Amino acid sequence: MSGPAGPNTKVERMSRGRWLRLIGWRHLIAILFVIWALFPVFYVITLAFSGGNTLTAACPPEKTGLAALTCFFPSTISLNNFETLLTSDQWPFMIWIRNTVLIATINSFVALLMGAAAAFAFSRLRFTGRRPGLLTLMLVQMFPGVLAITAIYTLLTDIKDVFPFFGIGSVGGLALVYLGGALGVNTFLMKGYFDTIPVDIDESARIDGASTVRIFFTLVMRLSLPILIVVYFVSFQALFNELPIAQVVLPDAQNTTVAVGLNGLVANPLVQQWGLMAAGGVMAAIPLVIVFLITQRSLVTGLTSGSVKG
Amino acid sequence: MATVELENINKLYDNGFHAVKDLSIEVQDGEFLVLVGPSGCGKSTALRMVAGLEDISNGELRIGGRRVNETEPQGRDIAMVFQSYALYPHLSVADNIGYGLKLRKVPKDEMKARINRAAEMLELTHLLDRRPKQLSGGQRQRVAMGRAIVRDPKVFLMDEPLSNLDAKLRVQMRSEISSVVRSLNTTTMYVTHDQTEAMTMGDRMAVMKAGELQQLGTPGECYDTPRNIFVAQFVGSPPMNLVLAKVVEGPTGLGLQVAGEVLSLPDAVVAERPSLRTFVDRDVALGVRSEDMEDGSLSSAPSDRRIKGQVALTEALGSQVVVHFTFPGRPVVTEDTKLVAKETGAAEQISLRPDRGVKWVASFAPRSKVKMGDEIEIGVDLERAHLFDPETSEAIRG
Repeated sequence: MSGPAGPNTKVERMSRGRWLRLIGWRHLIAILFVIWALFPVFYVITLAFSGGNTLTAACPPEKTGLAALTCFFPSTISLNNFETLLTSDQWPFMIWIRNTVLIATINSFVALLMGAAAAFAFSRLRFTGRRPGLLTLMLVQMFPGVLAITAIYTLLTDIKDVFPFFGIGSVGGLALVYLGGALGVNTFLMKGYFDTIPVDIDESARIDGASTVRIFFTLVMRLSLPILIVVYFVSFQALFNELPIAQVVLPDAQNTTVAVGLNGLVANPLVQQWGLMAAGGVMAAIPLVIVFLITQRSLVTGLTSGSVKG
Repeated sequence: MATVELENINKLYDNGFHAVKDLSIEVQDGEFLVLVGPSGCGKSTALRMVAGLEDISNGELRIGGRRVNETEPQGRDIAMVFQSYALYPHLSVADNIGYGLKLRKVPKDEMKARINRAAEMLELTHLLDRRPKQLSGGQRQRVAMGRAIVRDPKVFLMDEPLSNLDAKLRVQMRSEISSVVRSLNTTTMYVTHDQTEAMTMGDRMAVMKAGELQQLGTPGECYDTPRNIFVAQFVGSPPMNLVLAKVVEGPTGLGLQVAGEVLSLPDAVVAERPSLRTFVDRDVALGVRSEDMEDGSLSSAPSDRRIKGQVALTEALGSQVVVHFTFPGRPVVTEDTKLVAKETGAAEQISLRPDRGVKWVASFAPRSKVKMGDEIEIGVDLERAHLFDPETSEAIRG
């Protein structure tokens, strides 16, 4: 009569040295890299809550050497920086956030629709110029948008005479410019995904009586939801952080985007408001984090789809 | 229910590929017609043109007497079952079946009743809430069928619906589809590359090769009176045995010289084919079905209707013994025989004794005691012999 486990069944434990050699060093390297990557984030957050303008300035001069490292942990926690930024008339942070969220939300959505429509055409329809069209789209995408800044400026100045809403210095104008922005990459990404949806499904739906519009919206778009969400998030994030074009179109600090506004805080070498910028950066991260939390599940499936069958 | 008429239908692709050539078929009301042929013969293209998924380059297509060349698929009142089933992965089985009805704005109650009726017919009732992903291959196949029958269309189109199933399930679904379609009495066009499916399911079969219709007839007609070497070899398993034979004028009438011996042709065979006289001293292709041969020791065939061969392989199947034997004849090698060999996989088999001439397959009665390596005589039922012109590959008739 023996028990479920024989008397000699023993789980052998790995010796510490062996563990370090086989597994441990990977952990060490990973930890090192995490610290490396997160340090700026940590720096910005502590700076924002320190209430001061720079961490080094707040550091007492008697602390030198390794002791100075403790300055990364502020001795006092204060919301001064946040308060200044939210209440000052000089820097209307809430307007910046409103503009940015508005542009990022709506533009990403419209760009998604346009990109998906183009991707559907490239994936499903056969027409003259399909291949050259796809190549041109990719090629044009290679040039950074900054190259077009002069043209954008001139165009928007002229447009302002006719449609002030879309002219230079208006949020509408910036939105208009952004619409053309990431179309190429989005279209490519989505076309690749659409191609994995069997055409049989389209054909079956057509025989069942569905129109092309219905097939596009209720079948292809529905079945490629993961990639749509990826594209939406990526484009939301890119628009949120865009600086050079926004700086040209909306140079006025009273009506601009978060990126331009925060940049303006430190642009003048004589008056650099690092503390305010850090506080603004922390607050500006909130909408991005929210969008990320909503989309994260699809982000994982969307980005890895295709790598594994099924 | 309706007739489907294809009149000189052609499909020419932009790159110049002529996929379907002058195809004319009339499918009767309620008929089950099978389009069969090796891969790339244009059968699927033809079906897709009937469905409206592919433009017709020229020719006329009529469904129920109405020209539908320019009509969109949804206007043709057809339903199609795809090889991949093409189910909507995000919809439940019930919604999959009801999709077409929903788009046609059928009232909710009626829709539900029709979905339930179709589900009952296909034994899907307990699966209606599931997603396609949760179903087995056979069940998915039945959902695809359900989606077709629920609409009560004029015509069913099926594009290799059983190809994705394993062999056992395929046999089962074959009879299931047959019985469902026949109980509905709806005109059906069914595409397959499997001649067994074509033989067992179709009222008539249309054998195609390289975009051209080779023969249109009942399975029996195609099997018993093949129009040419291609149909003879493609229809039936194993393929018809062929050998080159010289037509000779003997004292008792016409005969066929095979491997140095003369087989005398029955009078009836000659009488049916007056033009055979023009082949005297020339070669014809002699075709014999495996079941038209018998072990010489059991056969009553006279000595001038026997051939001598060596057994290469025997397969005892219980009800019959399949005997592969070789004899020193000249093989018939044409484009058609190569195509069929490729299709049946015979081309990949290594010929063990190429010097042995041709290899035939005969099915003997189970009493036969032949063994591998035996030198045997095989009685050939020449009354049922098939004769073809090796130049044109056409059957010699009339």
